[in-house]
Amino acid sequence: MNRPAAPADAPVLTAERLGVRFGRHIALRDVSLSIPRGRIVSIIGPSGCGKTTLLRCFSRMNELVSGARTSGTVHFAGMDLYGPDIDPVEVRRRIGMVFQKTTPFPKSVFDNIAFGPRASGFAGDLQGLVEEALTDAGLWSEVADDLDTPALELSAGQKQRLCIARTLALKPDVLLLDEPTSALDPEATARIESIIRALSPRYTIVIATYNRWQAARLSDMTAFLDRGELLEYGLTETLFTNPREARTESYLTGRTQ
Amino acid sequence: MMPRSVSGAGTASRAAGERLVAHVLLACTAVAVVALAAVLAVLVREAGLFFADVSPWRFLSEITWAPAAAEPRFGVLPLLVGTVQIAAGAAVFALPAGLMTAVYLDQYAGGRTARLLSGVTALMAGVPTVVYGLFALHFVTPALRVLWPGIEAFNALSACMVVGLMILPTVVVLSREALESVPAPLLDAGLALGAPKGRVVTRVLLPAASGGVLAAVLIAMARAVGETMIVTLAAGNESRLTWSPFEGLQTLTAFLTELGMGDAATGTREFQAFFAVGAVLFVGTYGIHMAGRMLVSRSVGRTGS
Repeated sequence: MNRPAAPADAPVLTAERLGVRFGRHIALRDVSLSIPRGRIVSIIGPSGCGKTTLLRCFSRMNELVSGARTSGTVHFAGMDLYGPDIDPVEVRRRIGMVFQKTTPFPKSVFDNIAFGPRASGFAGDLQGLVEEALTDAGLWSEVADDLDTPALELSAGQKQRLCIARTLALKPDVLLLDEPTSALDPEATARIESIIRALSPRYTIVIATYNRWQAARLSDMTAFLDRGELLEYGLTETLFTNPREARTESYLTGRTQ
Repeated sequence: MMPRSVSGAGTASRAAGERLVAHVLLACTAVAVVALAAVLAVLVREAGLFFADVSPWRFLSEITWAPAAAEPRFGVLPLLVGTVQIAAGAAVFALPAGLMTAVYLDQYAGGRTARLLSGVTALMAGVPTVVYGLFALHFVTPALRVLWPGIEAFNALSACMVVGLMILPTVVVLSREALESVPAPLLDAGLALGAPKGRVVTRVLLPAASGGVLAAVLIAMARAVGETMIVTLAAGNESRLTWSPFEGLQTLTAFLTELGMGDAATGTREFQAFFAVGAVLFVGTYGIHMAGRMLVSRSVGRTGS
């Protein structure tokens, strides 16, 4: 795949009539939305509304689940992500994903960060790449002297920043973050949020979050999903101050969870 | 509404009932402890009498084991070497095949194939060892003779291969459990980093499951060490110090079976040798188990988040 060279705010990801079902269960129905380049987009909604499923569609992760079927299209920089000639492994290198549960590998900090570049055959300055990724994820100053330390010995917040750094080491175009702070304390959450803000001009970031206030604090645009359907999508400020749908308003004001 | 009483007859009888349950459970536990203590006591007493006559150094360093000879020799080394050879040889055959089968079942096989192969594995575990022994003697050894005409009728190679077959289900089932215990998000994370599945399996899944896989290996090795029937039928029962897989040998357990079915009179040194060899077997298998536990506890938390 060629690197897209589109201006800021041009859509980098566009889903059209996207649907996902797992066996008989419909997880996502007719979702159409565009993610603008270089922006932070939040996907909010009640538990089980399809936030994670939508996020996983963008990096072709759902097809790893047996019984999953995806319909509709997702275009990434003009290419159909689900087209017959597209290699899902290559898609995942370009559209990185960080998960809700922190997932450090049972390896050193260095080997965790180097995992992705090594898998893609990176032949350049690995040391420099690791340092850059750790710096971008706000972890370098804490681990610079301990790159050989097992990653499992880091704190919960550090582990999640390690996972973000691991994805950044691939220099993806898009960063998908699935509830990245749900298991963290307020201090670690604030740290991750400031890192996300710092990354936003260089990366397009899509966050699935159960925390509507996090969406309000961080994102330029917000999508509200309910029972697998996209009910509302627009500028965060508009959606929070003047929601179009009654269900959106009731979710935002805490009347429904 | 009146507050409910927190003391009284009901509470007292419940406490008595709970004490009774605790005593019954303690009694059940005591049965196992007493039985183990009795076995150990017999082993230590008889082995002690043996070692009063034969020095432990001679027992461990001499290279001839001939307890029933006119001039008996009690060098346990041939039996030890035979046992290690069978266990290690069986592991060479069973571990790669077992581990790869477990990875296939866990990661690649479809639901129906996995169920079918799991059924076959369970069936293999149910085959009596005497059947495996006859298979080794009447099928494997003749087949090996085609390749190596000089191989003896009783040989270690055929025993290793078939003991490997016997411990294969143990390796498969326990390794698969270890692989299944690795959290799915860890694999997802590897794949989400654009790594091909094979790389995620070898660089993430297997290291994360290594503690459980090591435990599987050690439990399977302990089974191989304790195996008697296949070894006796395939490798014969002649004690000699050899590392050649083409020759017959005797293991600790094969000797115990031979003597246990023989006519050594109670109180003789030959009879006491039975317990000395039993003690070596006990220490060896206990050591393997302890090593396994140590390795597993060292790797605990390797998959934690």
